Amino acid sequence: MAETPKSNFVDLRNISKAFEPHEPNGRPISVIDDVSMQVDEGEFIVYLGPSGCGKTTLMRIVGGLEIASAGEVFLAGERVVGPDRKKGMVFQAYTSFPWLSVFENIRFGTRYRNDVNAAQKKEIAQHYLKLVGLGEFSDYYVNRISGGMRQRVAIARTLAAAPDILLMDEPFGALDAQTREFLQSQLLEINREERKTTIFVTHDVEEAVVLADRIFMFSTRPATVIEEIKVADHLGEARGVEGKTAEAFFHLCNHVRDLMRQEAIRTESLAQQELMKQN
Amino acid sequence: MNSQSLFAYRGTSSTRADVVLGIMSFVAFILLWYAVAFFEVVPQRFLPTPDKVVAALYKMLTEQQFLDDIGISVARVWVAFFMSAVLAIPIGIWMSSYRIVGTLTEPIIDFIRYLPVPALVPLLIIWFGIGESSKIAVLWMGTFFQLVLLIADDAKRVPREFIETGFTLGAKPRQITWDIVFRSMLPKIIDNLRITLGWCWTYIIIAEIVAANAGIGHAIWSARRFVKTPEVMAGILTVGIIGLLTDQAIRLAHRRAFKYL
Repeated sequence: MAETPKSNFVDLRNISKAFEPHEPNGRPISVIDDVSMQVDEGEFIVYLGPSGCGKTTLMRIVGGLEIASAGEVFLAGERVVGPDRKKGMVFQAYTSFPWLSVFENIRFGTRYRNDVNAAQKKEIAQHYLKLVGLGEFSDYYVNRISGGMRQRVAIARTLAAAPDILLMDEPFGALDAQTREFLQSQLLEINREERKTTIFVTHDVEEAVVLADRIFMFSTRPATVIEEIKVADHLGEARGVEGKTAEAFFHLCNHVRDLMRQEAIRTESLAQQELMKQN
Repeated sequence: MNSQSLFAYRGTSSTRADVVLGIMSFVAFILLWYAVAFFEVVPQRFLPTPDKVVAALYKMLTEQQFLDDIGISVARVWVAFFMSAVLAIPIGIWMSSYRIVGTLTEPIIDFIRYLPVPALVPLLIIWFGIGESSKIAVLWMGTFFQLVLLIADDAKRVPREFIETGFTLGAKPRQITWDIVFRSMLPKIIDNLRITLGWCWTYIIIAEIVAANAGIGHAIWSARRFVKTPEVMAGILTVGIIGLLTDQAIRLAHRRAFKYL
């Protein structure tokens, strides 16, 4: 029974978030407005939206790194109150530790686990080292390897901690197009093998369509879900990086891009009206 | 334009060239000094030739127990330096870890660090007498408050993502402090310790000149009383040499220990 994926594995209930105003008498800045969603175990979710819209903040709330102003998050039936090993995170910035080798970095992911012994930890690290294809670079210091490789180290390290959910905050944002595409296909492969529930944040439409089972499109600040897209409904089996040339892929990308454009136009005109009112 | 050139704007050079040039600048300095003294541009009573200074140093070492003075000064410096470091490192990291600690301590530390150390010498002598403890206190006052702020700053510069990574891998704050923050900033800590050690040598000489019956500062001050300029200069030179050697030794150890940099 444990093998069947649980539905409602991640459950966001009416999440809102406002930051303290910058000026003493300013209004609080609302970044997320009443977002709810349910994610099944093993699903690959992509948060797509314009830069600075609050999608990263929402993901950080799921990870316990940020506290919601209102609403609750449940992961595997437990309420999220703070960060821990169950919510693994991969950042856009390189977070592999420069004082450790590739292998030691990946093994660091197992350091605070008490469900496995030292020998098992080493085995786990070996497994993920191979899974991300860095076996040959095991002993390299991480600042001797490329940015794409560093992100693979970060992914392997996070998986080695055996989290319930993998949270990825534009992890390929700083990489060139070719490396980015390669890592996308590798991530899909890893996902096929690990079936890890994932929330992936990006503002790149193609990346979203390639990776996601489901895409949540967000409005500009404060973030609300403007559309939810089940990718399989549009692409069928023509998924992944190889499916990029399929016609259906183009159509879906264009559809999503249109939505993004409309959202951008809407916010621009809103901002204009706001300015005109002030003057 | 060849960027592998010593004369190009921000050009690069080889280690070998750097070493040769470094030695050459020393040699040029000594030659210039020799010329100025030899032709008595300045009277030799005020500026003796380098060989007279070296001879004075040799005499001090062999006949006047100058080695004991050096030993005493070195011991004072290292004891005070050690006391500064073992307190400043944990407190500095602690200041950066918890807002309450930083906010409470930073203003007062900032104030104390601007107090001129030489002005504190009389006060510290009243408090601690003219024994060893007053010298240690001078050095400690001069270095601890500077070092603790440098450490706190370095700790704050550890990327936030490193710390958040720690949390999401299941580390507790204490484990993050030791396994990630301390380890990440360790090369910076060593750098700051090296710089602080240099300050210690300034303060020890001041402290020993004011009140001491041994130490390099005391030797310099006694020689002054009889206008033995070569001996005064030999004393100063000794501090310079010790400083240069320790500095280079720490740099070398730094390079060996942190190969990943």
